[in-house]
Amino acid sequence: MLRITMRRVGLAIPILFGVSIIVFLLMNVLPGSPEAGLVGEDASAAERERIRDSLGLNDPLPIRYGSWLLNALQGDLGFSTQRQREVSDLLMQAWGNTAILATVSALFGLSVGLWLGYVAGTRRGKLVDKFVSVISLAGLSIPSFFLAIVLLAVFAGGLKMFPSGGATFDDGIGTALSSLVLPVFSGALVTLAITARVTRASIVDVYSADFVETLRAKGLNEFEVRMHILRNAISPVLTTSGVQIGALLGGSVLVETIFRWPGMGLLIFNAISARDLQVVQGATLLIAVTFVIINLLVDLLQAALDPRVRGALT
Amino acid sequence: MTIGAVGAFTARFAGNQTATALLGANKLRDDWNAAGLAVKSQSFGRETLSRFLENKLGVAASIVVVLLFLSAIFAPFLTPYDPLVGVPTDRLFNIGTPGHILGTDEQGRDMLARVLYGGRLSLLAGFIPTVVAAVVGTAIGVTAGMVRGAVGTVLMRFMDMLYAFPAILLAIAVGASLGPGLNNTIIAVTIVFVPPVARVAESATRRVVVQEFVEAAHLSGASKLRIARSQILPNVLNDIIVYASGLVGIAMLTAASLSFLGLGAAPPAPEWGYMLNSLRGSIYVAPLVVVVPGFFIFLTTVAFNLASDALREAMDSRL
Repeated sequence: MLRITMRRVGLAIPILFGVSIIVFLLMNVLPGSPEAGLVGEDASAAERERIRDSLGLNDPLPIRYGSWLLNALQGDLGFSTQRQREVSDLLMQAWGNTAILATVSALFGLSVGLWLGYVAGTRRGKLVDKFVSVISLAGLSIPSFFLAIVLLAVFAGGLKMFPSGGATFDDGIGTALSSLVLPVFSGALVTLAITARVTRASIVDVYSADFVETLRAKGLNEFEVRMHILRNAISPVLTTSGVQIGALLGGSVLVETIFRWPGMGLLIFNAISARDLQVVQGATLLIAVTFVIINLLVDLLQAALDPRVRGALT
Repeated sequence: MTIGAVGAFTARFAGNQTATALLGANKLRDDWNAAGLAVKSQSFGRETLSRFLENKLGVAASIVVVLLFLSAIFAPFLTPYDPLVGVPTDRLFNIGTPGHILGTDEQGRDMLARVLYGGRLSLLAGFIPTVVAAVVGTAIGVTAGMVRGAVGTVLMRFMDMLYAFPAILLAIAVGASLGPGLNNTIIAVTIVFVPPVARVAESATRRVVVQEFVEAAHLSGASKLRIARSQILPNVLNDIIVYASGLVGIAMLTAASLSFLGLGAAPPAPEWGYMLNSLRGSIYVAPLVVVVPGFFIFLTTVAFNLASDALREAMDSRL
């Protein structure tokens, strides 16, 4: 297991470099020029040039990447001229809030999805199965921002059951928890849908495997048999769970914007509106790095749980 | 299948002298193989179609998709209103108002007209990225799968790096750096979809490239390009079509998300995601009107998803 861990970590490092290169290129090579947010529309060419020089934007690209990466590794992601704050300060503040929202969403989506998929898979073709497939189709097709708006109107506006958002743990745990309900549900429905689909397919697959017959023949009771099935069917679900958490982190841009949840997503949205590319760059990098690390952890967890995966990796 | 493909291959190179000699030696068997393949390849299309037609849900979904496309194309004939010009005194009429079946938006523009014209932008934003990404991704994946060594590795590692981003975040980041606009949205969504298609294409290619008929083509002097076109592509296309068809719905959603964030088509243009955002302040005044664009995004995505599920089931011979 130690060898696998080392190997996986070794594989993740070049990916992290690649991620940083792509984030850098996105913000520096594509047409939207980085100084656009700093100079006015009517700035003269000379003024533009002066600002480009002072930011080091006229250096060759690899040199700019190198110095940007060195700074980033030391926690310096630049300065947001719009907000007059260090980008890393802004990110630190927002990071915790997004982590809370994404974690709760992931727990909700993955566990309910797993349960629904399991129920549907073991009762294939029954009414429950059809019901679950309708839910997962709807979850896959409904835009999270649309669901969020409808939920807001019904439960926050009409019924006044939950706050419309914006609360954090500074406002007391009760308020914070109740203001999590709507964002979690609108963000995690996709997770739930995909997890239910994958689990169902995997359970159906394992259900007809020979070893299940053997277990029954050995005289195991239904509960024990089902535990064996679940254990064997969990691998594909784990594989997608990493991607699901990433989708939750990325999707936070939409959900947080609507519920005014002060996390990375809202930060990115506000930065996009203000053309504050330094912040977009820093936040994108941080989320992408988190995503790589989560995928690494999922891989390792999978290897720890499933000897077949372990064998394939070594 | 392998024998059949060799037969087809031999038949295709019938003008070639070596192949003619081969054909002479084994004429009977090769004719039989070629005939067998001809019958089989014809019946695959038919079988897929008939299996698809059996799936009532899939057929219904496809009809909805076609209707949505037609209504977007013929929008000018379906509504007398201009989607960009509103009547300021007619703001936020509710659904069912005479003359405005779907109501009016916050600037007094007819919602039906905006939804119909908006369908053009939204459907394009779902379809074009999928098609372009399927073509580019296939090219990259097949190349990487056939050309081992540095080229293949570099290509796929680059795909891995793009894949290391959450899809929607990558689209947002690309959209943010390109700036708002429908073209930029389409580019952003395309970039997000190339890596997964390339992965599917690469793994399918690796499966095919080791089979005997590819070896046979290689030995008879076919160029790499010719092998890619006539031997690999027909065998990996199924996987890619099935996979790509599932992407249309996601592409629609991603594009709508971008335009919801203000990164889509420029403001007066009626794009469903943007409409939803600009209307969302009015949700307590005219809730049903606000729901309209969201409902159309939902309806289109459901239809695409159901149709692609049906296609997958019809094409997958294992089921």
